Amino acid sequence: MTRLADRAKLEDLRGRLVSAFDADKRRLFVCMGTGCRACGGDEVLDGLEGALKGAGLDEQVEVVKTGCRGFCENGALVTAQPSGTLYCRVGRDDVDDIVAKTVARGEVVEHLVYRAPAGIGVPSGPVVPREKDIPFYRHQQRIVLGMNDRIDPTRIEDYIREGGYAGLAKALFDMEPEGIIDEVSRSGLRGRGGGGFPTGRKWMFCRAAEGDAKYVICNADEGDPGAFMDRSLLEGNPHAVLEGMAIGARAIGARQGYIYIRAEYPLAIERLRIAIEQMRACGLLGDNILGSDFSFDIVIKEGAGAFVCGEETALIASIEGSRGMPTSRPPFPAVKGLYGKPTNINNVETWGNVPHIVNRGAEVYAALGTEDSKGTKIFSLVGQVNNTGLVEVPMGMTLRQLVYEVGGGIKNGRQFKAVQSGGPSGGCLPVEMMHLPIDYESLADAGAIMGSGGLVVMDETTCMVDLARYFVTFTQNESCGKCVPCRLGTQQMRMILDDICEGHGTEESITQLERLGESVRMGSLCGLGQTAPNPVLTTIKYFRDEYLAHVREKRCPAGVCEKLFVATCSNRCPSDVDIPAYLSLIAEGRAEEALRSHMDRNPLPSVCARVCPHPCEMRCRRETMDRPVAIRAVKRFMVDAVDRVEVSVETRPEEERRRVAVIGAGPAGLTAAFYLRRLGHEVTVYEAMPEAGGMLRYGIPSYRLPREELERDIARITDVGVNIVYDTAIGKQLSLSRLRKQYDAVFLGSGAWADATMGVPGEKGAGVASGIEFLKLVEIGQMERLAGNVVIVGGGNTAMDAARTALRLGASSVTVVYRRTREEMPVEPDEVTEALEEGVKFEFLVAPVEILRDRRKSLSGIRLQRMRLGEFDSGGRRRPIPIEDGFVEIPAAHVIRAIGQNPILPRGGPPVSNRGRIVVDQFTLATETEGVFSGGDAVLGPATAIEAIAHGRRAAEAIERYLCPDRAARFPWNAPRTLDTAFDPSAPPANTPRREAPKLDPAMRRNNFVEVELTLSPEQARLEAGRCLRCDFGKLLVSRDEV
Amino acid sequence: MLQAAQTSLGYLPADAMRAIAQHLMMPPASVEGVASFYAQFRFNKPGRHRITICTGTACYVRGSGAILGDLQTDLGIPSGQTTADGEVSLESVSCFGACALAPVVVLDDKVLRQQTSDGMKKVLQDIYAEVGPGESCGTCASASEGGGK
Repeated sequence: MTRLADRAKLEDLRGRLVSAFDADKRRLFVCMGTGCRACGGDEVLDGLEGALKGAGLDEQVEVVKTGCRGFCENGALVTAQPSGTLYCRVGRDDVDDIVAKTVARGEVVEHLVYRAPAGIGVPSGPVVPREKDIPFYRHQQRIVLGMNDRIDPTRIEDYIREGGYAGLAKALFDMEPEGIIDEVSRSGLRGRGGGGFPTGRKWMFCRAAEGDAKYVICNADEGDPGAFMDRSLLEGNPHAVLEGMAIGARAIGARQGYIYIRAEYPLAIERLRIAIEQMRACGLLGDNILGSDFSFDIVIKEGAGAFVCGEETALIASIEGSRGMPTSRPPFPAVKGLYGKPTNINNVETWGNVPHIVNRGAEVYAALGTEDSKGTKIFSLVGQVNNTGLVEVPMGMTLRQLVYEVGGGIKNGRQFKAVQSGGPSGGCLPVEMMHLPIDYESLADAGAIMGSGGLVVMDETTCMVDLARYFVTFTQNESCGKCVPCRLGTQQMRMILDDICEGHGTEESITQLERLGESVRMGSLCGLGQTAPNPVLTTIKYFRDEYLAHVREKRCPAGVCEKLFVATCSNRCPSDVDIPAYLSLIAEGRAEEALRSHMDRNPLPSVCARVCPHPCEMRCRRETMDRPVAIRAVKRFMVDAVDRVEVSVETRPEEERRRVAVIGAGPAGLTAAFYLRRLGHEVTVYEAMPEAGGMLRYGIPSYRLPREELERDIARITDVGVNIVYDTAIGKQLSLSRLRKQYDAVFLGSGAWADATMGVPGEKGAGVASGIEFLKLVEIGQMERLAGNVVIVGGGNTAMDAARTALRLGASSVTVVYRRTREEMPVEPDEVTEALEEGVKFEFLVAPVEILRDRRKSLSGIRLQRMRLGEFDSGGRRRPIPIEDGFVEIPAAHVIRAIGQNPILPRGGPPVSNRGRIVVDQFTLATETEGVFSGGDAVLGPATAIEAIAHGRRAAEAIERYLCPDRAARFPWNAPRTLDTAFDPSAPPANTPRREAPKLDPAMRRNNFVEVELTLSPEQARLEAGRCLRCDFGKLLVSRDEV
Repeated sequence: MLQAAQTSLGYLPADAMRAIAQHLMMPPASVEGVASFYAQFRFNKPGRHRITICTGTACYVRGSGAILGDLQTDLGIPSGQTTADGEVSLESVSCFGACALAPVVVLDDKVLRQQTSDGMKKVLQDIYAEVGPGESCGTCASASEGGGK
């Protein structure tokens, strides 16, 4: 390496490197960042070099060891040029394929190319061979990180060839120091470490300060858990940072620079050392750089594991050799910093932006970003997204775009819950905030901060209370101890959160946390203390319901806080059914006891065994071994094996016995009636239709739920003495006010029977029907045949039920039209599969615009407009956008719409929300009308049977407390469980694969309503139940009745 | 100086800190004050193998808390200590910066990615297999038999 005595020599070297560089040469870029090396990158590198030599290609093909490329979860990464193909998850064994196919013949190795991962019921996406087409990369603007893809960070020649140090030369010879500062100020660059302070202004203060020596420092103490942007930049392109520091030193008038880097980054430290040595050898560091009057050198200082040393005054103290305790400001480091001299500290990424600003100018830089937040920001997008890694995007991109477009949405098809922005100093933002643009002010206004750029995405498996506890534990450990509010306040907050997570919290605990949080914020000297309460305060603000569930009900909805749940499956069940209990009883052949246990939580087992969407299976821990237990299939066996069980009914003394009216004999009403009757009250159910069941009978076809099974469950309810009065509708034969006078309490379970209309011309008139109405008519026998083509509009359960029923009634063809795609249909994937097997056709991405009628006004068809998917909405689904001039017509004799349902509300009924649903207290289900409670679809909108059942039981318990407030409520079904099934915790788990319930052949299903799904045999059920890992074993719970 | 001492000795024995204090003509309390402030400094001899588990947010959200708990149970020591037989020391770190590979565990110099409790049991088995049956502690022996697939 020759010394570059002046600028001309630098440009000369650059010129020679550029002309010697053959852009068309075949090259393999192998990522040597920490992440890819942990994925076996070293072996891949060795393998490739060996294979190329073996093939005699090592002269023609260059292997370049690059820095971190950001797509870390898919490591080890190899990019082939000039084709631009990116290979993911490359292993030692793939090396020969790469050399033989791609290098030698220009072919793509299919199994190594990126494809969007599979979700639940959704197959994996198409292959995307070229790196720049991959969604993860397509939306990025890799201004600072871009060079990581192309250069070897241990070779300064690569950096120079790509334009490196031109910025420094320009700063030294074409600009004055004040001019450099002016350029940086006009660019709008703000501190990327989290503070967001305008960089140019900080430089100006330091330049203007008095001092015989000045320092520049690079803060590389990236301590935020979840953030690794700085590491990636330092490992992959250290020269960008070093050049930035040199430019800054020139502008400010410093001769000495320090890099304070955390010791946990050994590779970054090594790369920096090499880079600095090479700079010195070239004369780019040291005396009279490039022949100018500017002399500058850099020293590396390692941290020793203290998060607080990321705070600038603590950092300075640490360099000086002391305990890293912050000091008060003013005086600011720009005036009085390291060793008492004016010091300018900037974050790694901030320094990394400087060469670009000097090279391209402030205007070009400021063209990206928003008004107040210019340029790009590197984020570490991690947690429960599909594509975790580092991304560099322009400021102003929305959180939603980042999580869904770049991040590829939530893993395993789960639901988004929150995103933590800014590490332990930041805040958690819920789905309602996802429209926010990512810039300093917007995030701060919402209570979070941008911080260093860490974005951790969470789904339903994260408990927000536990997360707040986690962050406070971190900041409490890292607190330097100087300020009492921080030292003791964080500790107190942690103790309160521990209490809450262990079931000893009260509502007072939440108030205490809020007050303490404010005190800690106001009373702390440095940023650590000032921001430590943020995670707690934002989670309380946006997830208060979760805290309330922990303190009022001693329940952890996410299934994380160990003391507050028994097993994740039961915890996920809306009605808390004791799944391990009945599974273990079935495994021992004790089906009757199993059913009795089930009835203590859910009195409609036959129904749920057939139609429940089984959220329990989605949280079954067995999934970590092979596949979840087929809980619903086992339940199905249980109900088919046992007809009746005895359940207890209390005899209440006269003075405690009350009379309760239930409106609606659907799942919510029947369940509420059941439990109230078991408590010894007199219960009468008023049902508008001729038979009981509600949506279960009149909405779900019998090939999914045979009527004998429904009858069996209804008999379980009437068996305990519930009285049902039919053909009696509220608002017609009955009024709510009269019921309230005649009864001590009323439960309103009237469901959601009003059908949403399409609102298109031609809709009124014969031939167009509501899906619910249609199913009802079929059930009561008033529709037995349907001729001609049928079109079903919608993509939910009702649409599927209507479609498959229409087929069975003889329609010549049935087409379901839906405005989104198959993956976004809110139904069980099995429903769609079964429908396709039976011959139902689907048209996706179309929406109705007109119902077509002939001259005699008879329905002749439906006109639809094609849609394309646009931006993501708050639910995480893409909004459909009409395509101009993209129309299609489908001939039809019948159109059935199933696009949504709303509750029909009785006159004089309780107040409703602006979505038309009854407003209730979430814990007691009490409406705003005294003595009236409500649950099920009337409150939730169209929801599932199990949710309605859960509401029924919750309302029954609340009604009991309301009716007999002086008596301590005691519910027999909540008694501590006495399960005596055998289980050996040290034995290995049963090694049988998951067994699915068999189904009828599709050919045998088309023209009848015989049940499609069949039952497991006793042997199969026993084996399947035996796969349960008994997560409940030995667990003691904080009793819910002690509340 | 403290960092150099730990690099060559493996930890900071009391004598070393006293020697540094004498050399710098500082009270020993000041030197200890600095050393005790930083998490990186160890005051006990480290084990032959060091297991460091990341408890950063991304790793935590993907289950590293549970893995740490299991390691503590299997080794019989809390985080920050070494097993009695001197084989393994267990530490936790707030973030390695390899968040996309969560949960991350570092064994000596090797970064292990996307770890699970079962995976760690295997790692412990391998460590103690080198040592030989007579010297392993009781908890690991049962861990290697009872673990799942």
